[in-house]
Amino acid sequence: MALNAFKASEPLSMGIELELQLVNWTDFDLSGSASDLLHLLGHRTFPGDVKPEITESMIEISTAVHHSHAELLAQLRSIRDALVRSGDRLNVAVCGGGTHPFQRWSERRIFPNPRFNQLSTLYGYLAKQFTVFGQHIHIGCASANEALYLLHALNRYVPHFIALSASSPFFQGVDTQFDSARLNSVFAFPLSGRAPLIFDWREFAEHYFAKMEKTGVVKSMKDFYWDIRPKPEYGTIELRVCDTPLTVDRAAALAAYLQALCRMLLQRDEAPPVEDDYLVYNYNRFQACRFGLDGVLVHPKSNASQLLRDDILATLVRLEPHAAALDSVAALDQLRHEVIGEGNHASLLRQHFANAGSVQGVVDAAVTLFRRGRSR
Amino acid sequence: MHRARQARGADVPAREPTHLIHETLHGILSSVAWPAAIATAWVVGELAYRLLSLPRISSYGIAGFAMAASQGGFLDNPSGTPVALLAHFAFGLILFELGYRINLRWLRVNPWLAITGVAEAGGSFAAVFILAQAFALPMVPSLLLAALAMATSPAAVLRVANELQSSGQVTERLFHLTACNCVLSLFVFKAVVGYWVLASAGSAFEAVWNSLVVIGVSVAIGAAFGVAVPALLRQLGRIDRNATVAFAAAALLLTAVTHAFKFSPLLAALAFGLVARHRRAILSQAQRNFGTLGDLLTVLLFVFIAASLDWQQVRNGLTLALAVIALRLAVKMAATTLFARPSGITWRKGALTGLAMTPMSGLVIVLLEQTRHLKLYALDQVAGLAAIVLLLEVIGPILTRQALVWAGETHPREGR
Repeated sequence: MALNAFKASEPLSMGIELELQLVNWTDFDLSGSASDLLHLLGHRTFPGDVKPEITESMIEISTAVHHSHAELLAQLRSIRDALVRSGDRLNVAVCGGGTHPFQRWSERRIFPNPRFNQLSTLYGYLAKQFTVFGQHIHIGCASANEALYLLHALNRYVPHFIALSASSPFFQGVDTQFDSARLNSVFAFPLSGRAPLIFDWREFAEHYFAKMEKTGVVKSMKDFYWDIRPKPEYGTIELRVCDTPLTVDRAAALAAYLQALCRMLLQRDEAPPVEDDYLVYNYNRFQACRFGLDGVLVHPKSNASQLLRDDILATLVRLEPHAAALDSVAALDQLRHEVIGEGNHASLLRQHFANAGSVQGVVDAAVTLFRRGRSR
Repeated sequence: MHRARQARGADVPAREPTHLIHETLHGILSSVAWPAAIATAWVVGELAYRLLSLPRISSYGIAGFAMAASQGGFLDNPSGTPVALLAHFAFGLILFELGYRINLRWLRVNPWLAITGVAEAGGSFAAVFILAQAFALPMVPSLLLAALAMATSPAAVLRVANELQSSGQVTERLFHLTACNCVLSLFVFKAVVGYWVLASAGSAFEAVWNSLVVIGVSVAIGAAFGVAVPALLRQLGRIDRNATVAFAAAALLLTAVTHAFKFSPLLAALAFGLVARHRRAILSQAQRNFGTLGDLLTVLLFVFIAASLDWQQVRNGLTLALAVIALRLAVKMAATTLFARPSGITWRKGALTGLAMTPMSGLVIVLLEQTRHLKLYALDQVAGLAAIVLLLEVIGPILTRQALVWAGETHPREGR
């Protein structure tokens, strides 16, 4: 089946998908409750879309298409409130975070549907080990070629999103010393990483994708686990490196940051992306996963080293006019505050671990934070 | 040989050594009996699990019943022996765990669940009482039977759910409804005992003592443990790993104390778990089932339950037993199905919750054993009770497991 035609969409429109954790209130372990929760949610008008994910302990929510940060945030909050209410009726707690701190992957149950069963058979333990929770941000693009341009122009900013969203320091019961341990699970998949450097959609569809399809390795775009991938059905690019933050407010702020970045990049003031930019790509991505905001980035053009924290702050300054135009100044302020003061959610979770003395306490804090909606 | 005996001394009576050997042998055999029974039951449990995929606890029961002296086996009736105390301790651990898994806030947020609990327990009581009267049972045995029929046995339910690592609405509701109906059943049972004491001994003081005071004090002692143990753990600082040992030791102490003073170890253990959960500052890593300790004690518990039964008692009132089992199951399933949709699950999951609530044997035997001092020989006097206990000891866990499997809440590759 050939790749779908790229359906143009409103430029800089945005939408979010969040994979969320379902945990029980007793020992805060993951709970196989997706079917029950979806059944209950099916009875009422839900202020968004909700879908099952590969294991019974996760669900994925998604927003409609929005143009402003305020609308997006309002919808995310009402989705959250509806989820929390329904969860309470079933004694299921819902929370964010890129990993569950102490779940054992061998105990997960695959959600009963054909695609998930097939994935589980193909990938074996990788599929269950993939019980990790990410945020996907979609940005609308006027054309397919614009989408491919943006996809590659963002390469140097991908570590920003990893560090700002990182909320998965704990995995399988221990502090991994990574701010985002989740991405290590994603990298295990054979088709993860970056998209090939192609700027023309026809070339991408007819040569690259068609050839890959002919090898039998992929059937659809869904089989690529790239950090950023085009989504022709929606007419968007989809950034997939973010951990699900602990609050929906942070999730909305990250989307606004990406929206403003795309607006800036579309002015094409920066030198266009080239293959050599990707020489430092994996290294920078590792720095962001491992050290979060304290990671060190190598600039792909100048090869200068800089703290991720400083690079984000500098970028935020450059984005000011764009944020003003997009009405997202508040969102970027929130991120600035994160970078200067409180730190990312990975460091917040580590503080809770230090206070509570147990990984259960970490989930307890995450549950409270998700319900309350503020990081402070 | 004759010369040898003479050499030891002529004044020793001739038959003494054989008598001595007999005595010693008997002593050795009876001290080996229970460990041997536990080992045997475990082997039977594992074999039946692998070959017939029977829940292990069902096999422990069958093995225990077969090994009991009343059936020609080598296990004396354990009632009143130290083995009984160990079984109480095992049951106390299970009730503690059940209490620990109960979220009272859920019952407030979703009142339909609480209504389901009252309806199924009340319905079971009324239906079984009417049935027993129809079978011409006297008043007090009818009431006792009806009170006991309200409860679901926490031991079977928790063991089966943990064995299958099940999670989901049927599992969660099963735990919460079991806790509800156990408490209600214990209250009604104590009230009936109070009534019975009043009727037979005519002492109002004793009647009140055996119901209200016993309930109140048991809950209070359990709650005190629930406050004290987490507080102690907090004082000691981070001891996540040892929390299981601490809670097990506390449950042992609690069982012994309440048993010695003739309060209700069951209510106390349940209250202990419930309060500990709602007051924890340290989030306990208490392993499900209390790990290996729990596994071992479970074998003992289920062998103990079945070994308390006598074939003669079982034969007495078999028809009534079958009728009670069927009616009780019907009432429980009707209540859980009726309130399924309002409480937020499908009819099907509602019905399966009721089906999963079939077991009741463990609670009955342990409860009766703990009220031995009242000389309430319910297994002899309440027709059908022994048969119900035996049948449900085997069938109950099978139905619970089937319900959880049908609900799709179990782990595909089950067991450990």
